[in-house]
Amino acid sequence: MALGDCWKQLSWFYYQYLLVTALYMLEPWERTVFNSLLISVAAMAVYTGYVFVPQHIMAILNYFEVVQ
Amino acid sequence: MAMTAANGILKQHSKQKNSRSEDVKVNGYHKKTQVKNGPGTGVANSLPRHEPFEQAPMYVAVMTYLGYGLVTLFGYFRDFLRAVGLEKCHVAQERSEQKDFVPLYQDFENFYNRNLYMRVRDNWNRPICSLPGPVFDLMERISDDYNWTFRFTGRTIPNVINVGSYNYLGFAENNVDFLKTVAEKTQEYGVGVCSTRQEIANLSLHQELEQLVANFLGLESSMAFGMGFATNSMNIPALVGKGCLILSDELNHTSLILGARLSGATIRVFKHNNMHSLEKMLREAICSGQPRTHRPWKKILIMVEGIYSMEGSVVRLPEILALKKKYKAYLYLDEAHSIGAVGPTGRGVTELFNVNAADVDIMMGTFTKSFGACGGYIAGKKVLVDYIRRHSHSAIYATAMSPPVTEQVIRAMKCIMGQDGGDEGIRRVRQLAENTRYFRARLKEMGFIIYGNDDSPVVPILLYMPAKVVAFAREMLRRKIGVVVVGFPATPITEARARFCLSAAHTRPMLDQVLHHLNEVGDMLCLKFSRRSLAPRPDLEDRTDFHTEE
Repeated sequence: MALGDCWKQLSWFYYQYLLVTALYMLEPWERTVFNSLLISVAAMAVYTGYVFVPQHIMAILNYFEVVQ
Repeated sequence: MAMTAANGILKQHSKQKNSRSEDVKVNGYHKKTQVKNGPGTGVANSLPRHEPFEQAPMYVAVMTYLGYGLVTLFGYFRDFLRAVGLEKCHVAQERSEQKDFVPLYQDFENFYNRNLYMRVRDNWNRPICSLPGPVFDLMERISDDYNWTFRFTGRTIPNVINVGSYNYLGFAENNVDFLKTVAEKTQEYGVGVCSTRQEIANLSLHQELEQLVANFLGLESSMAFGMGFATNSMNIPALVGKGCLILSDELNHTSLILGARLSGATIRVFKHNNMHSLEKMLREAICSGQPRTHRPWKKILIMVEGIYSMEGSVVRLPEILALKKKYKAYLYLDEAHSIGAVGPTGRGVTELFNVNAADVDIMMGTFTKSFGACGGYIAGKKVLVDYIRRHSHSAIYATAMSPPVTEQVIRAMKCIMGQDGGDEGIRRVRQLAENTRYFRARLKEMGFIIYGNDDSPVVPILLYMPAKVVAFAREMLRRKIGVVVVGFPATPITEARARFCLSAAHTRPMLDQVLHHLNEVGDMLCLKFSRRSLAPRPDLEDRTDFHTEE
């Protein structure tokens, strides 16, 4: 029940995303190309954050002499 | 100024000082004319003085550009694939022998056509297989290769509500009783005229039509032509030439622009409906004269339209007339969409603003929209129309109007004027006005951005984003409503819209159905961009014309 509603809501959000970025007008394989590009860029950003953000935070705290 | 009607002919009483309201009989119905601001200001009370062209929120503009940018990038990608040969090219291409010549298909319009229009062109040029009345039938067609080719399934989509046809008074009908005179005239005169007006096809029917048009408008004389576009483009060169100045509105129709260019006159464009811009140009033209010699201009012609078809805005006629008189210019008014559709008795914008029709030098209009026929007319003083009869390309070379079409215009005009003995015409004019007010009020309430004057039956709903335009058209067809959506070449690239043309033949249940579906589709596609505060609906309660209530 709730899963069905959730699926409908997600489906509607995907539809809005297709409309706003004009992917609605493109053929399915073009949508796949664009979506994979977008997801790979987002995945790379998340991975970079996962690797480097703790180091940056420690450096900042070290600079402000909050922690040694 | 007060107008009285006798036998369907409107007579102007000039120099009448009205400081109190007067009951006037028009076609058997009482019409109150109140002049609040003193005698002869020429401003109608019911006309709202401001026509907002509301701007969408910033994020809408950003996303529109984003959408176009993305599709353009993919367009370049697909062009590359076609050039390399990985993909079959369906469009016209230059032959290999010509590859050293100047390329034919590289400009932006062709790029746009190949990569944006072709993808979604199932929303345009839909074939219709019935009368384009308030409801019509469409032929179902599907495409197997993403709209490069179509095939018909053989089925029709019946009873689609038609909100795209220019059928303002509902005269596009196939009711046998109404079309009796048309059938009789066809049997009498045939269908082809086989000549031009000046040679041997000046039928008595044409003269009857021209007399009727002149009476309808309250002018001295008129001339009718077979094609509305040709009326503009072929007659303007007869009126102005080299050494004249044309001041044309920004959003004028292609026929006016073509006529102006063909004439050889100097053309200057003023901002849409902007009187300051027009006045500045007039003053500058009179002070400086012609470009190099500084001689005075032979003629200054201001070209405007009654209702602009893409915006639904109405021209500011009283102000333009004041400017015209002050600076001694001439006015050309193109009433293609407004004749029959606005004004209490359907006489167009001159009646809407309560001004004397003889003040406008050249009144032009078409029979395509409100009269359900085809063709156009030019009306004005007798000397003007006689000159046009002798000197216009359209009058000399173009084939005359066909008899059934002429009779259709005659019967429609007689119906509007009430000369056929009933009140069907005036009922339709009022029904259209009521439909217009209701539809616009409900749309504003729902939160859509619409352009144009509250009295104009042309209602554009702004959609902005290219994918939403396409999704809108498809969704509405799925719900059996046929809309016309317009995109780039006809409108600015960021202001794509859906244009609704209301008709007197639409009943209230039909409009309610359309509005209900619009509401649903608007929510589904997130089209309600308006940030106006929602006022209550005073105009629906304060109506004074309850004549057509059942």
